[in-house]
Amino acid sequence: MIELGERTRRISPSRLHEILREHDVRSVVDPCMGLPTHLNYLKRHGIAVHGGDLLEWFVRVGEGIVVNDMTVLRDSEVAEIVEMLPGRIYSVDAFKAWEGVFFTEEQCVYLGVWFDNVRNLRSDGQTGLAVLGLWRVFCYWLFKTRFPDDMPDIAPSELAWSYIRETEAWVMSNLQHNTVRQADVLATLTARAADAVYFAPPARNTLRSADARIWMWEAWWHGNPYLTLEHAYRNSLFGPRASDEHAYTHALASVMNAAEAFPLVVVQTTQERLLDVEPALRNARKHVDIRHFGPDEIYLVAKS
Amino acid sequence: MALFQETDADPRAAAARLADLLAWFGAIGDLANGDPAGLSTRKAQAAASLARALEVEQPEVDAIFFAAQLHAIGALGNDACRKGEGLPPRLARMERWDIPAQGARIAERIGALPMNCADLIRWQDERWDGTGSPDQLRWTTIPHGAQILALADCFARIEQPEEALAAVSQESGRRFSPEMARSFLLWLHLNGGDPEPTPTPNATLDARKCVPDSILRDIADRIDDHNGVRGRWRRVATIAERVATEIGIDEHGQGTLELACATYGSGELAARDVEESLYDPLARLGIEERARNATLAAQLVERFRALAHLTPILRARAEWFDGTGKPRGLGRDAIPALSQILAVSIAFDALLRNRTAAASSSPDLLATHRLDDASGTQFDPDVVRALIRVAGSLS
Repeated sequence: MIELGERTRRISPSRLHEILREHDVRSVVDPCMGLPTHLNYLKRHGIAVHGGDLLEWFVRVGEGIVVNDMTVLRDSEVAEIVEMLPGRIYSVDAFKAWEGVFFTEEQCVYLGVWFDNVRNLRSDGQTGLAVLGLWRVFCYWLFKTRFPDDMPDIAPSELAWSYIRETEAWVMSNLQHNTVRQADVLATLTARAADAVYFAPPARNTLRSADARIWMWEAWWHGNPYLTLEHAYRNSLFGPRASDEHAYTHALASVMNAAEAFPLVVVQTTQERLLDVEPALRNARKHVDIRHFGPDEIYLVAKS
Repeated sequence: MALFQETDADPRAAAARLADLLAWFGAIGDLANGDPAGLSTRKAQAAASLARALEVEQPEVDAIFFAAQLHAIGALGNDACRKGEGLPPRLARMERWDIPAQGARIAERIGALPMNCADLIRWQDERWDGTGSPDQLRWTTIPHGAQILALADCFARIEQPEEALAAVSQESGRRFSPEMARSFLLWLHLNGGDPEPTPTPNATLDARKCVPDSILRDIADRIDDHNGVRGRWRRVATIAERVATEIGIDEHGQGTLELACATYGSGELAARDVEESLYDPLARLGIEERARNATLAAQLVERFRALAHLTPILRARAEWFDGTGKPRGLGRDAIPALSQILAVSIAFDALLRNRTAAASSSPDLLATHRLDDASGTQFDPDVVRALIRVAGSLS
């Protein structure tokens, strides 16, 4: 059975928004955004958001719920995603490597079908919405292997339909230009000017602690069930070299240096990682305010 | 003037009064959110019982109780719920996502609540699969207590326990974590859908950390804001205070009158429009509407000891002096004096701000003339005369 680790970090966008509002922030850059639901929240509250990440599926989702201002999926388009269409040739064996290990045969077939269908969508916005909706199905299935008797059996297409529909409810415009890019932290920081940087640094041993639900979906997006995260993080700022303390500190210092031009920096961390992160921020900024909402949710708010 | 005039020497009495005020606020939140009456109470009972069954520690159980009771307070003033906004459904749905966070911000300002209470209010609508609101938290980042609140919500909204069980089972792995859904099933089997009553954990409230008066004033402001009549209760209270002084009502009575002014607007929360936007305050046509609102406001306070003394005053504010009013057709001395003052004050404020008065060079004169016409039929002549005497200084 696959190990589905407990998440130890909580990012509450409503709290983050409260902090940003205190400082009258109207635009924010998040160079390490992960799943950008928090950027969607900030966007909904009128803040111009710019995100970046190394994983492509996060960026695709960003195109769906951050960049996308108005594109939603009509019923016929959702049907084209969730079902096998007659006349189309599918790579139904593409994810056979996961069969019997993580998923059933039927689920693996659907993963292949969805992989093909998503690539035939007409816009980046629609693709992003579909990727997010289908990821939720993927997570549901992974939990189902762990709790087979406690979760209802729902037909794959029905589950996918409901999740894609739910996802597109988050599409809205804030009359601002919002962007996402697939890039390393420093590249995103130097590409955009904004009132604030929001940064949730990856953990020191980020590759070892990576969540299966995250890297397996990157593998799905690339159509390669054998893909691992090493390829994405190779040569990146917080890549393998940042596993040791010195390299990690150096990487954090680089981020703080690159963020020098931004009036406000908000760093999200946890009690466990506070000692890794706080010194780097204090070295770079005069005023650091610690907003401690709990051991798994701490925001360091730094002004110049 | 202090709204609550008893001394706070006894901390238990102060905590009990605060608990009453919070329970009333919870009921107001239900109305503003369009929830069925009594939902917050049922939810609090179910949540506390479920939390105890899951062996949650007592301080957390208490926080869960109050979070359930105040679950919908964020709806008061939310753009999707506020009168007159008329948002398109998609936009209204998005606005509603902010209700928990708005509720959490209100709860944070009530310093007396248990420590985690505001967090639980904030995250009670989060769903296990990450599709909830406001934060789209997922899996284990959702606090245990917030999942208990979500289960209690499901239970409290559905009358038949079997249906609640089916609803929770269907949402296992989506709205609820599979472990929590299983725990709910065990809890339901243990109590047969009839949870053991939990007394309000008054002792958890730190009444020293807040002033009930300021909480009530804040709630009253929010009610007016929600009803689209910002600042109304304060204006009405000012008028009522002057009239009461003129008539010779003692200080205790004046305090009660101000409380009535702060609470009468709650009766309009369930209505689509506020009564003053529908009917002229002196029109007989508006009696039904006014009586319905008055009755609802009275029902909201009568359950709580700290506010129960307002019940007859709020209920009778739509009665007419000649006995032709509603809901009970009381007349003359059968109508409490404070009700008479409240009714005249509400009418005077509405007359001062309606379109005819706005176009007039002396709106107070116009308003007092019209009130004088209703003297002896709708209003007590003594109260109208007192108002006419002080009207000059009010405008």
